[in-house]
Amino acid sequence: MAEFSIDQSFLERLERLTLHWQKSFPGLVGGHNASRYSGAGQEFLDHRQFHQGDDLRAVNWRVYMRLERLILKLFQVEPRVPVRILIDASESMTTGEPNKFDYARRLAGALTYVGLVRLESVLLQPFSDHLHDPLQCGGGRHRFRPTVTFLESLKASGKTDFMGSVKRFIAEYPQRGLVIVISDFLDDQGCEKPLQYLADFGHEVFLIHLWSDEDRVPPFKGEIEIEDAETGEVQKLNFDEEAQAEYTANFDAYARGVREVALRKGGKYAGVVTSTPVEQAIFGPLLGGGR
Amino acid sequence: MFFLNLSLGEFLAVWGLVSGGVFALYLLDRSRRKIRVATLRFWTPSDKPPEAKHRKRIQQPWSMLLQLIAIGLLLAALAQLRLGSPDRMSRDHVLVLDSSAWMAARTGPLSLLDQAKRESILWLRSLPSGDRVMLVRADALPTPATVFATNRPATEQAILETRPGASAMNLKATLDFARQMQRQHGSGLGEIILAGSFRSHANDLPSEAELPANVRLLPVKSDLRNVGIRKVTLRRSPADAQLWEVFVAVKNYSRQVENAPLAITFGSAPVGSARMTLQPGAEESARIEFRTKAAGYLEARLVLRDAIAEDNAATLELPEQKLVRVMVYTREPALLRPLLNANRWLTATYAPPEEYKADADAEIIVLDRFAPPVKPARKALWIEPPAKGAPIAMLSPARGVKLTGWRNEHPMAAGLRSLDLRLDETSVFAPSANVTVIAQSEVGAVAVASKDAAYLGFHPGRGALRFELTAPLLMANTLEWLAPEVMRRREVTGESVGNIQIPLEAGVEASSVQVLGGNDIAVPFSIVDGNLQFYSGERGMVRVRTGSKEQVYSLSLPDIAESTWEAPAKVRRGIPRGVTDSIASRDIWQWLAIAGGLLLLIEWLWFGRTRLPAVQQQALPGTEIFRRFTAPFRKAS
Repeated sequence: MAEFSIDQSFLERLERLTLHWQKSFPGLVGGHNASRYSGAGQEFLDHRQFHQGDDLRAVNWRVYMRLERLILKLFQVEPRVPVRILIDASESMTTGEPNKFDYARRLAGALTYVGLVRLESVLLQPFSDHLHDPLQCGGGRHRFRPTVTFLESLKASGKTDFMGSVKRFIAEYPQRGLVIVISDFLDDQGCEKPLQYLADFGHEVFLIHLWSDEDRVPPFKGEIEIEDAETGEVQKLNFDEEAQAEYTANFDAYARGVREVALRKGGKYAGVVTSTPVEQAIFGPLLGGGR
Repeated sequence: MFFLNLSLGEFLAVWGLVSGGVFALYLLDRSRRKIRVATLRFWTPSDKPPEAKHRKRIQQPWSMLLQLIAIGLLLAALAQLRLGSPDRMSRDHVLVLDSSAWMAARTGPLSLLDQAKRESILWLRSLPSGDRVMLVRADALPTPATVFATNRPATEQAILETRPGASAMNLKATLDFARQMQRQHGSGLGEIILAGSFRSHANDLPSEAELPANVRLLPVKSDLRNVGIRKVTLRRSPADAQLWEVFVAVKNYSRQVENAPLAITFGSAPVGSARMTLQPGAEESARIEFRTKAAGYLEARLVLRDAIAEDNAATLELPEQKLVRVMVYTREPALLRPLLNANRWLTATYAPPEEYKADADAEIIVLDRFAPPVKPARKALWIEPPAKGAPIAMLSPARGVKLTGWRNEHPMAAGLRSLDLRLDETSVFAPSANVTVIAQSEVGAVAVASKDAAYLGFHPGRGALRFELTAPLLMANTLEWLAPEVMRRREVTGESVGNIQIPLEAGVEASSVQVLGGNDIAVPFSIVDGNLQFYSGERGMVRVRTGSKEQVYSLSLPDIAESTWEAPAKVRRGIPRGVTDSIASRDIWQWLAIAGGLLLLIEWLWFGRTRLPAVQQQALPGTEIFRRFTAPFRKAS
């Protein structure tokens, strides 16, 4: 397994990044991304007629002196939007070389650091067949240490249950925001429906799809006995070049399906192979905004 | 090169069998690799049938080849492959050196043991250097002096350090021991070498069937002139306390008639002598009496020069004859005098009650119808104590009472029987927890005993009782119970070391027997068919106590066996000739085992590790990852 290391220059490069989303979310002022919702912002948005109960402080008194009509001046708000990172902590993440779970933790750590630098409120939420204990962090880069401790203590175990986890997540966190899902999206029940459910609820979904090289192109030949890491189910089969090509085609088709789910509701998708260094992945497919 | 444990055919058969198994496992097991994957969702089997295609060839031929070689090496190690030829294989010999008492005999400047040592060393030097030798010193008990070793100087040193013992050689037990040592510790069966004169007791000689086939003899001359004392017994005459009887048994070990002058001295003063003429192999006894009451050393000595000097003299220690002093406070000494004078082990002093002293200079105080103001400081016999002043509770006196029974298990009443015995006048004691009733009458206890005193309600020297045998027996029992050490009868015997067998007197209970060695340490013993048996392998003194009798065994004489073993003609004799000190065959199984293990390790390093599940190879602690991740960050902050 390739060792992950980060140096000062990488940290400095991370500090130049910002977590960006496209959707407009309501919320209190204090964020960095503009919203189509009006509120206590700095940028002018629009005018509208005054109605009973509106705040008199927002009346455009110059227009009133000229037209003798009460017109309200609306401003574009930059709300504080919660950023939530869902980390797949199921058993299937422990397979592959390099290990997907370690890679996911490093990615989550880097993204959290970026969010903390921009004073975002970041929630780290591991899941497998249920939601594990989360970590809410915020308040700047100086609060990064608890994130490291939390990620260090994470252990991958159990099956993946996207539907159950998403339902529980929506129930727990009703406020819409940016949801980054770092996973291999391997769920026997399928993950399209729950991801669509997540997007339909109003979250902006950013799917980071992790796979190892052997997840996509298994290097095995001959008679093999494969064991499902999550269920323990065993299958004996003969695996040759044709079967390998068919496997890769199936995998690519599945990845395309996941991507479509993400893009369907204006979300983002980034497929990352774990042989790519984390630094390169962040400044590559993730910085590109996911397509 | 040859195998020690297997023949070549057996080795090839076992290796072939194991190799076949390994080959089959390669075809069956290694044809299917076990892989742990994230999901089974995308896997589809190939359309081509796999079975016939792959199970006909080996996927990792080098791995299998390494394993087969390693198994072959390990199997060769188990079969103990040796370099050299089988007839050069090193052997394990047991050298038995006769260290019995007879080996102290001298035929000139050298003793028999010196000759046996010389023969043993010559034999030792004739051995191939690879042969291992264990030295066993044999007398009554075979004792290993060295382990199986090729260290010749150490073995020679052990041979030279051997000294003659005091007991006779047990040849049968020695051969059994040597054979057992060869079976347990010897890797290659060698010879059992017997060096000595092979004199043994008749029961300790092996039969021809019991003789191992690998025995070799290194005999030394044993036809010597020797006459020795076998036993000396010293006992006090039953009729006279100051008369000692000495019995001396002398044996002629020579093949010609011998004259043996015997001299007895006590405290270096001659007290008797005898001259015996002994036929070959005969044993005779001489009886000598002398009178003394002093303690001292008695020596019996044969005045002659022969092969063994140790059995020409025996010294015994005579104990001092102590008499029991009895202080009798009575107004009628004539009544008790016949009873006390009958016992030759005591001396009695008579005094009126007015002269009573609680700490009188005596072992026993007798109080005849008298209760002193102060309790006696010695053991006491109270005869008809008055009710007032008696130390134990008493009932009203009675007259014409019939005596109904004796408590015979108590030493005071041991052996007493009486029929229709009536007591003219007697005191009656109240029973209590502190006293034991000795004699019971119609009206109650008439004789009792406490811890250090005896109480008689009747006078044994008065009335009709004085004509009964019961009276002196009761007095003798009572005095012996009050002073057991002094009354103990002693007998002193000079014996040879080894097995001692003593016939026990009838009625002696096993629980009362004590066998004590030096410093009064208990010696293990057994009682078989009325005979007490114990073994002592060293010179010293052993005391045997059976009830009131003490026998002192002064084990100072050597135990010289009466029989000489005549070995069958087929038994090899002398030092083997023509033995060349060539290099013996050598074990290489250790190197084969190491090579086999190394090959298995190499095979595992090359092929085995790749077969481990992927997750085990990839495990890298997250802690380390994030420590590296955050270390520069913490510095920057």
